[in-house]
Amino acid sequence: MVDRAETPAPLIRQPGVGSLLLGWLRSPGVLNATPVLIFFLIGFVGPLVIVLAFSFTPERTFDLGAGFTTENYEHIFTESYYISFIWSFALAGLTVACNLLIGYPIAYGLSKLFGRWAAPVMLVLVIPLFVSENVRLFGWYLFLIKGGGILAGGLKTAFGIDTGTLLYEPGTILMGMIYVYLPFTLFPIVLGLSMVPRDQVEASRDLGASRFQIFREVELPIAMPGILIGALLTFVLAVGAISEAKLLGGQNTPVIAQDIQHEFTYAQNWPLGSAISVLAIVVTGILVVLVMRRLDLDRLLGRR
Amino acid sequence: MENKRWVISLIAVWTGAIALFLYIPIFSVITSSFGKSRYFRFPVKAWSDKWYDQTLGANLTTDLHLTSFYVAGCVALIAVVLGFFGALAFARYNWRGRQFYQRLIMLPIFFPQAVLGLALLLWFTFVGVLPSWEAAVFAHLVWIVPIVTLVISIQVYGFDAAQEEAAYDLGANRWQAFREVTLPALAPGLFSGALFAFLLSWGNFPLSTFTTGADSTVTEWLYTKMGSGYTPMIPTMGALSVFGAIVILFGGYMFLIVQRRRRLERNE
Amino acid sequence: MVNAAPILRMVNLTKQFGRLVAVNDVSLDIQEGEFFTIVGPSGSGKTTLLRMLGGLEKPTAGDIFLRDERVNQVPANRRPTCMVFQSLALFNHKTVGQNIEFSLKMRGESRRARRERGLALMNVVQLPEDYYDKSVTKCSGGERQRVALARALASDPDILFFDEPLSAIDYRLRKLLEVELKDLHRTTGKTFVYITHSLEEAMVMSDRIGIMQEGRLIQIGSPNEIYLQPRNKFVSEFMGEVNTLAVQAGADGGIDCPAFERRFTSPVKPDGFTDGYLVIRPESMRFLNDPSEAENHLEGSLFNEYALGSRVQYHVSAGGSMFVVEKLREQAYQGGLNDDVLIGWDAKDSVLVTD
Repeated sequence: MVDRAETPAPLIRQPGVGSLLLGWLRSPGVLNATPVLIFFLIGFVGPLVIVLAFSFTPERTFDLGAGFTTENYEHIFTESYYISFIWSFALAGLTVACNLLIGYPIAYGLSKLFGRWAAPVMLVLVIPLFVSENVRLFGWYLFLIKGGGILAGGLKTAFGIDTGTLLYEPGTILMGMIYVYLPFTLFPIVLGLSMVPRDQVEASRDLGASRFQIFREVELPIAMPGILIGALLTFVLAVGAISEAKLLGGQNTPVIAQDIQHEFTYAQNWPLGSAISVLAIVVTGILVVLVMRRLDLDRLLGRR
Repeated sequence: MENKRWVISLIAVWTGAIALFLYIPIFSVITSSFGKSRYFRFPVKAWSDKWYDQTLGANLTTDLHLTSFYVAGCVALIAVVLGFFGALAFARYNWRGRQFYQRLIMLPIFFPQAVLGLALLLWFTFVGVLPSWEAAVFAHLVWIVPIVTLVISIQVYGFDAAQEEAAYDLGANRWQAFREVTLPALAPGLFSGALFAFLLSWGNFPLSTFTTGADSTVTEWLYTKMGSGYTPMIPTMGALSVFGAIVILFGGYMFLIVQRRRRLERNE
Repeated sequence: MVNAAPILRMVNLTKQFGRLVAVNDVSLDIQEGEFFTIVGPSGSGKTTLLRMLGGLEKPTAGDIFLRDERVNQVPANRRPTCMVFQSLALFNHKTVGQNIEFSLKMRGESRRARRERGLALMNVVQLPEDYYDKSVTKCSGGERQRVALARALASDPDILFFDEPLSAIDYRLRKLLEVELKDLHRTTGKTFVYITHSLEEAMVMSDRIGIMQEGRLIQIGSPNEIYLQPRNKFVSEFMGEVNTLAVQAGADGGIDCPAFERRFTSPVKPDGFTDGYLVIRPESMRFLNDPSEAENHLEGSLFNEYALGSRVQYHVSAGGSMFVVEKLREQAYQGGLNDDVLIGWDAKDSVLVTD
């Protein structure tokens, strides 16, 4: 036995910044992330930069070299485009609020009450998601149209009541959005609620908490990441919604996505369309960054 | 935890009602597709499947579905390959920058899709790519790759990476370890990733509408037609796409179950 | 032990991760057929050391020799060694049989030969034959251990490495498996290298033990040597509860304890000892009726007593510190709590260690 504690530490090199960087680039995590990151650069960052660049070019130009101007942004506020923003964000906000109220009890049932029925119920709720949004909205159109619609026709046949149409109202658009985006709110909440450990709920009950106190002090904070993701996802998707307004709203209610599409097709005014897009991106982007910073994805997805 | 009976019942009834709500339009579409008259009236007086004969016989139907199928198929294939590596970086390895990477690649999911579609259209024009179904594949991928990465990541989180090392240690080379251990262990995740990718691409409209150019998918056609008034072909085409989605979903689910069973029974 | 050429030799083995030195200049010979256990707390580098030996990690510096052949660059799949992982790393999508036969399949052996060997191994680790087609996910904790063991044995490796495979198992099953593992070591005659954070576990099974601290191997010896002659305070405290007193070398060969302002009789001093700790095991500490009954004594009061089955443990408060005394149940202290007591020990039952 030799006492090694006395011998000086040999062979220890302090690696330089260069070799640390090289080691990082060669680490399996970085290597595996590379394809996705390259794709992300070409497919996401590139387009965003182009939109940003276009939003500063003069009206009705199709060339980035045509000059620099901020008047597209001024137009948004002087030419009533901002009304679409108000509609879109209001509708999106209402959609999120309604979906949280509708979805929370279901999510609670799925994660805590239904037991072995949870999986089939989940499947039933997922399936409509995979039918194109347009087909489903068209279904609502058929359900709601005047005279021959399923609702009107059904009521007339069954009860002899005559109803007008519910179509082409902002309320109908809201219903359409609630309908389309409910699963996007619901499933993240299920994910969040399933992170609430049963014993913590029991412990808080044991410590004298009422049902509402348990909800506010235990369930809500622990499930918050899931709820936030659900709300954010729904909000962002709803801001970009386009079909609901057109199919159920009959284009009476202006929304952002429609404005953008209009500028890029009929109006052929790419710079203005780009400016509207950039504004929408900035507003949603701020929300996304704020929420993302609070999330621990490893815990949420991997239960680590 | 004790939950009062009536609370459970109430939540169950609520869930049932919402599930019904989710299916109303789907039933509406299917019902109207079987109506005989040229204009949709409810209650339906006479039933017929003639619109199906007509729709199925049309070249347009085949073209639209083939385009949708090509797009969805390519998206599923590429998304799974990219998502597989992406998920390993997301969940398997612990590396400096991973937290940032995890948030970065989620951004396209949290992005208004119509805006993304438009941005891609501009980008394609800028780099000189003509809008076509191939361009739409790329556009769909921007949104779907992150989702598939998340789906596969969930499986990767549950994968004990030591299994791979155990395989090397027991004499497997890199390829054998991948084929014998990593791939089968992650297969369910890869499969659900592919299924997600296919169905999301199949039903996507906001990205397609900006990027397919002259090629048209089923959903785009529906959108255009709906804007210009009712024809019985719309619900019929819609119903066909509903059946398609259900067949693919259940087919995939069954396949997964049979595979799992076979793997346990087989003994090689 | 026969002093033949070692089956496994580590020379100045070092591993760095970035700026972190996980294993620091470890040199060690492991003899053929030995059961060698490396013990250390988590983060001491023991797992990294084992992973280098198994070929899952490449050394930054130093060498590993396997039967006199340098194997630094030989990857895990071409080393005649096998590892039982902490998580066991069973292939969850495969059956018990498929798991055990994995290495044979990699070698391209026929299905029949594999099955024969697989069943034989199941017999060795005491798994019933009808488990062959069972999914490993349906096996209990102990059964999974056995599958992992059989799988590691299947390729007939020269050395088996164990990375704390018993750490997640409940106490009773762990004790049972420790004994079984030691028996398996005897019947197979293979070299076992085992790592654990529990010195108790190491004592039960090992021929020799190495203690690791902060990447260095600080003491190597038989369980007895480690127990009786811990090299430093870290090793002595690793054994579980011990009584330690800060002391200095005093005049006339004794040792001074400033805290109690006492001079104690000294056991054999390490070379050049100036100050360090006096270590007395709980079972060497005894209650005295009179100071003359032991070479050294302290006055205290009985704080509490704990029944440990065959033994009873006492905490005695003295001079602001708590001392631990352990007695066989038959020799239990007769008296009540808060009694004023005398505790004492002889120099031969104590050890001097440095920091």
